[in-house]
Amino acid sequence: MSRSLFDKLWDAHVVEELPGGNALVFMDLVVAHEITTPAGAIAIANDFEDRLYDPARIVAMIDHVAPAKDSATALQAQTVRSWAKRHAITFHDIGDNGICHVLVPERGYVAPGMTVCCGDSHTCTLGALGAFALGIGTTAQAGAMLAGCLILQRPKVMRVEVTGALGNDATAKDLALTVIATIGFRGGTGYVLEYTGSAIRALSMEQRMTLCNMAIESGATTGIIAADETTAAYLAATRGAPSGWQAEAADPDAVYAATVTIDGSAVRPVVSWGTNPGECSPIDGVVPFDAPEESLTYMDLRPGQVLTSIAVDQAFIGSCTNSRIGDLRAAADVLRGRRVAVPTIITPGSQAVRRQAEREGLHDVFQDAGALWTHSSCGPCLGMSMGVLAPGTRCVSSSNRNFPGRMGDGGRVHLAAPAVVAASAILGRLGSPAEIAESAAVPA
Amino acid sequence: MIVEGDVLAIPRANIDTDQIIPARYLTRIDADGMGEHLFAGMTDGPELLLRHPTASIVVTGENFGCGSSREHAAWALCGRGFAAVIAPSFARIFSENAYTNALLPIVLPHHTVDMLMATRRIRIDVESETLWADDGERIRFALDPLRKQFVLGGGFLPYLHAKIPAVRAWEAAR
Repeated sequence: MSRSLFDKLWDAHVVEELPGGNALVFMDLVVAHEITTPAGAIAIANDFEDRLYDPARIVAMIDHVAPAKDSATALQAQTVRSWAKRHAITFHDIGDNGICHVLVPERGYVAPGMTVCCGDSHTCTLGALGAFALGIGTTAQAGAMLAGCLILQRPKVMRVEVTGALGNDATAKDLALTVIATIGFRGGTGYVLEYTGSAIRALSMEQRMTLCNMAIESGATTGIIAADETTAAYLAATRGAPSGWQAEAADPDAVYAATVTIDGSAVRPVVSWGTNPGECSPIDGVVPFDAPEESLTYMDLRPGQVLTSIAVDQAFIGSCTNSRIGDLRAAADVLRGRRVAVPTIITPGSQAVRRQAEREGLHDVFQDAGALWTHSSCGPCLGMSMGVLAPGTRCVSSSNRNFPGRMGDGGRVHLAAPAVVAASAILGRLGSPAEIAESAAVPA
Repeated sequence: MIVEGDVLAIPRANIDTDQIIPARYLTRIDADGMGEHLFAGMTDGPELLLRHPTASIVVTGENFGCGSSREHAAWALCGRGFAAVIAPSFARIFSENAYTNALLPIVLPHHTVDMLMATRRIRIDVESETLWADDGERIRFALDPLRKQFVLGGGFLPYLHAKIPAVRAWEAAR
């Protein structure tokens, strides 16, 4: 039987078939952060003699709220910290930390062919390395720490082929949003998205992470890209990365439950106008005339409104989608020698990314432009710690979710690529880098 | 096992987990106290709950629980006394979390869900996978045959704990 890449990974990790199309699936790595891990760790301590299946298969870190913002989040961090120490689990504390989906590949914890789970929906990011990586709840994560396995329904596989090459200033973020707009906000539910095609192969490792990161926003279990020479080069340059991995690929005649083809050369820079990531349009366009009324009411927009006429109150560059060094370089290229017109927060995805950015002088570019350059955390993306939006205000953001209230009660979010966010920050309204490239830079 | 209760109808699709419980409430190390924040991220959420104080079954649109993996969404529903959510579809992670917390995620066709939106009270027999609307109409549904046992009292973690020898043997032979 000809198999997809995902089929091969699945088959290689099934410990036991279970009733109802379920399977016991072995997890090579469990990623544990301070928000969703404590309750599971405590359950294992209380009910199962604090015994973990294999502490060496767990990596833990502080990522969402770093450092703690109050006594409650301090207790979350301390719970994970003391648990990791007790079990000799590899742990990245504040200062050495990062958003898990940025830190895990950067420190070489993931390799092609692995299975990875974490109590965090954006774990699908790691599919960029040819791993089967998925988000799960706290109890399922506890199960993986207790017994080394998840119980999963076998997902179907959707082949997402992106032909040609990305052009017209389109980035992996624009492709990610275009995929969701194409298959629908819930069009991926029950599927794994297997990305193939020349435009995918041309993406850098970081760009692949951005693309796979948003697979969950279509409802998909995860996204996955076959390892190739780009993956090999990335892993070879990553200190601590495993070297013995084998590149799996789909059989040439693999059968898929669904196939979608997207012309990469037709992908354009997009921005979201609605309340889910599938509600997006090319930035030089208008709010669609058939846009759902409920979305537009929340966003205070009207059909036909020119997207570049929408004023913003805040800009955010960061999150597990777009906070890697390439994202920061893209933002810096736009901001260099210019000033932001609205409060702008730039949050690197890890402390390692932060240090690299500072070696390159990007922090000076950002701060000369008037932006706030922060330490690494999930930051404003989920309205949990810093940078929360005031009701009725509008933020252009390089993050992944524009749900109602996501970045703060009544706050409105427009998703876009880092360069578009940077351009919008300068313009004080949604806008593209092409618009400001025409204007002369002002002295810092 | 019989679950019976008043209906809270939310006739909208895509109720995401940020609406079910916003991230600012995810600051505990246990599942306690989440019920008081249920639907705090939904514009009309608190008002809906006030208007339906006795409701214990949510009837809603497609893709309920999409977005974040936060199990707090299931904890918040359970903490507020909800025992079932009926919808045309659920996000995968929410559905898994619901089962592990003995919250029934019942999938029914659109037209059936639309009909149940107008129902005041629903009675559910979990074993036979049958429910009755208040006009007496009998509706069959299908639960995940494995996860059903986590609703009926078999714990999720004990189930996995019992699998450890098999997992170790599999790993040794890998």
